Amino acid sequence: MSRWTTEELCMSLATAFGAANVEEIPTADGAVQVVLPELGDLGITIALTDHQLFVSTPLVDAAQVRDRAEFDNACMRLNPINPLSNLGLTTINERDTYIVFGELAPDSSITQLELEIRTLGDNAIDAIEVLKPYLVTA
Amino acid sequence: MSLLQKILTLFRGTAHEAGQAVVDANAMKILDQEIRDAGNELLRSKEELTKVMAQRQLLAGKSQDRAGKKAEYETYIAGALRKGDEALAREVAERLATIETDLTSDQQTLAQYDGSIRALKTAITETERKLSRVKQQIDTVKATEAVQRAQGAVAARHSGANGKVGTALDSLERIQARQAERGARMQAAAQLESDSNDGDLNARLANAGLLGGSTSVDNILERFRDKPAQQLGHETPTLTGVIVEHTDADRSPRQ
Repeated sequence: MSRWTTEELCMSLATAFGAANVEEIPTADGAVQVVLPELGDLGITIALTDHQLFVSTPLVDAAQVRDRAEFDNACMRLNPINPLSNLGLTTINERDTYIVFGELAPDSSITQLELEIRTLGDNAIDAIEVLKPYLVTA
Repeated sequence: MSLLQKILTLFRGTAHEAGQAVVDANAMKILDQEIRDAGNELLRSKEELTKVMAQRQLLAGKSQDRAGKKAEYETYIAGALRKGDEALAREVAERLATIETDLTSDQQTLAQYDGSIRALKTAITETERKLSRVKQQIDTVKATEAVQRAQGAVAARHSGANGKVGTALDSLERIQARQAERGARMQAAAQLESDSNDGDLNARLANAGLLGGSTSVDNILERFRDKPAQQLGHETPTLTGVIVEHTDADRSPRQ
């Protein structure tokens, strides 16, 4: 079982990242959004459930990918060498969106969570830099 | 169909329905029901195990009593035979025969119970393992859904109706734009600094009268000292003297 409530999570994250960069998202399930100013205001979303802390950030809108099969292949090859984070595909607001995500045990400490969030952010920026050649150039 | 397959099917099914949650609430209810059913099944298996174990214990107790009776009858038979009472010995032996038959049957039934207990225990462990895995899967689905919903809410707030979510690509572009801006600013600053450094240097050079075209009193005097030296030959030693004297004065502090 989790040692965190959404409120406690919000407060601890505000201490770690600054209150201005942390916000509880008022959805049915209760989630927290952390913005990383040093990473181009990248938004990291944290959801808390009974069995895990789920940390996720959108990588790129699938509509911006030139060749989906080629991009998927590149993602699959990148995934094993991407430390501590996974690449995935989900639907956000009915748009196919590639994400970078990770899971932590629900009894993880704030230090572990902070490390996970920062690592996830760095990994997402690194990943999109590597995958940029597969995107439609604007 | 495995649970994961069902979940994936649900994902595919709802992806095309506009305005729907990733996994609709009904589907989640069905999955939750499956977990409850599996949980109930587990409970029934555990009850069954308890029952079988109790029955085995009961039979084991009964069988122990029979084994006690058997030993007792054996002494009776031996006693009757010692006394030459063949008829009594035969009568007891008949009873012993029934007990021995029962004992054999007990052994078989106990072995069957042991088999059932082993099988039930294995099934329970397996179901528990599966149940916890399924719970974790459902939990992950719920977490994914929660994150997607939150990301959707954030996107709707920032980009309005199109609901386009802010991605790492957007952030990378911002980082690169910031870096480019910072780079340009640093370059401009460096340029400014170098300009002002040059200005400073020029000013010092001008003061020292070393900058070409600059005018200073010493410069003018030097010019006059040079030119008359060529025109008026007798002035040259004086000049040399001045220079030597100057050089000596320079050296003196080091001695």
